[in-house]
Amino acid sequence: MTKPVNIREIALGILMEITEEEAYSHIVLREVLEKYQYLEKRDRAFISRVVEGTLEHMIQLDYIIEQFSNVPVYNMKPLIRNLLRMSVYQLKYMDSVPDSAVCNEAVKLAQRRGFYNLKGFVNGVLRNTARRLSQVKYPDENLDPLHYLSVRYSFPIWMLDKWMQQFGYETTEKICRDSHMEKGTVVRCDLQKASKEEIIEELKKDGTTVREHPYLDYALVLSDYNYIGALSAFKKGWITVQDISSMLVAEVAAPNWGDYCIDVCAAPGGKSLHIAEKLMGSGYVEARDVSERKVALMQENIERTEAINIRAALWDATVRDPESVKKADIVLADVPCSGLGVIGKKQDIKYKMSEKRQQDIIRLQRRILSVVQEYVRPNGVLIYSTCTIGADENQYNLKWFLENYPFRLERIDPYICDALKGKTTAGGYIQLLPGVHESDGFFIARLRRLKED
Amino acid sequence: MALRQIRIMGDEKLEKVCRPLKQVTDRDRELIQDMLDTMYDANGVGLAAPQVGVLKRIVVIDIGEGPIVMVNPEILETSGSQTGQEGCLSLPGQAGIVTRPNYVKVRALDENGEPYEFEGTELLARAVCHECDHLDGIMYVRYVEGELMDVSGEEAEEIEE
Repeated sequence: MTKPVNIREIALGILMEITEEEAYSHIVLREVLEKYQYLEKRDRAFISRVVEGTLEHMIQLDYIIEQFSNVPVYNMKPLIRNLLRMSVYQLKYMDSVPDSAVCNEAVKLAQRRGFYNLKGFVNGVLRNTARRLSQVKYPDENLDPLHYLSVRYSFPIWMLDKWMQQFGYETTEKICRDSHMEKGTVVRCDLQKASKEEIIEELKKDGTTVREHPYLDYALVLSDYNYIGALSAFKKGWITVQDISSMLVAEVAAPNWGDYCIDVCAAPGGKSLHIAEKLMGSGYVEARDVSERKVALMQENIERTEAINIRAALWDATVRDPESVKKADIVLADVPCSGLGVIGKKQDIKYKMSEKRQQDIIRLQRRILSVVQEYVRPNGVLIYSTCTIGADENQYNLKWFLENYPFRLERIDPYICDALKGKTTAGGYIQLLPGVHESDGFFIARLRRLKED
Repeated sequence: MALRQIRIMGDEKLEKVCRPLKQVTDRDRELIQDMLDTMYDANGVGLAAPQVGVLKRIVVIDIGEGPIVMVNPEILETSGSQTGQEGCLSLPGQAGIVTRPNYVKVRALDENGEPYEFEGTELLARAVCHECDHLDGIMYVRYVEGELMDVSGEEAEEIEE
């Protein structure tokens, strides 16, 4: 007989890959769910919920485990550590699973995975947790605000420390809290294909709840739908899934009729397509990225929207392309970044990032900037953007860039709504913060190349 | 360690009733060891002798709690029921929903020919029933409720690893 499928064991396997082997949560989860398509919907939902929830609250779960274990979490066998995490998650956040089932299943799983001698330990920690969960004392908000935020919202201390210095306590808490909020899906309407009213009506016919986004006229927020691909407005190519922050990039880029635009890190191509759409079929957008897989993905998206003034191309942004020098009216540098602005969507980012890794990313960002700035024609525009928050990858990079290359920042107020205008937008950039703005965390700067070098 | 070839459904050995052992010989013990090796290698939880082409009433099982060897097994008692997915090493890439007793009591000889009895529930009960059926030429597909499911994606992945 073959080994039977055990949904808790599957969830544990996914957690092991993500926490111990550096795999990315959304990718592993998608792959595994594809593999187990034959499982019942209920079982598949259980797997995603346990994996996503455990990652979302991991620091808090570790804190709770350590209240009831004499072995610190980092000293445990990786399998036991992740088994306890996902079990405590079920105890604390999933009322539908009886405590006894959580404990029994965990003990069986430990045993099945060769930890017969740790059965008692797993059982002891989990039974104690189940019994005394409500009595756990958490760090005090006033006495130790950093530790409080870290345990309450499961963010690493180093990250919070940086944010507290830059944004203050209140804003930092808002950012943390926002990452745990359920949000609707933001979509961009292609108003050349249908009017906003038509699109809203079409979406409502499918039972979707639709809200207009306050920042952009053509952005809608959808909720209460099952699968976006099944909505008729999506099938007709009327809507594209894209966060409001990404849409703002094309707004701030503000292409003119006939402009030639190079998007140097374009995959999956949303911003490039948006700019192509704004060019009304004129001009040309070259959407480049570094791997064939990414280029193929963009090609697919381009074909779905039937845009004619855009092509996907394989080119590494860190490699100078002599053909492009001083050719582009607009260069879009939406560079690889630490992604701290999208933690709400990809929870594992907050554990995977480290200060060391961030330094490597900053080096890469500067290398890309130093190469692609050359493509901007005199008096042309360079848009720098990241989906992260914090000065290191944003303002400090800008400062470095302006010191080294003949560009100046340009006011972005004409391209954004009143709600977003502020001191920095007049200066040429905006840092969107989740929880403060109705958006992912995102940074956009508009730079203009000086007329003559 | 010696791996033996697992027979695939359609092989006539899988349709025969196996004969009981009068005694457990060294040759049988070698077969038992090979069956365990073959089962672990195939990532299985149970294997019956006809699955490696030998028509003797021998079964090995390990559901993750250590190996169990059963020679001439007899199911003495069953009770309760469980309904769930079941798959067989002789029908790779497929699985189906099968209802089995949730409890079994078994008498068998161990690898030294000593008689013993044991009880099993849940997965162990299912494995005992599944493997003992093989000794009578019965495949689980006979009991499948609904359609067989394709689970081959899963196997492909395991081979890669």
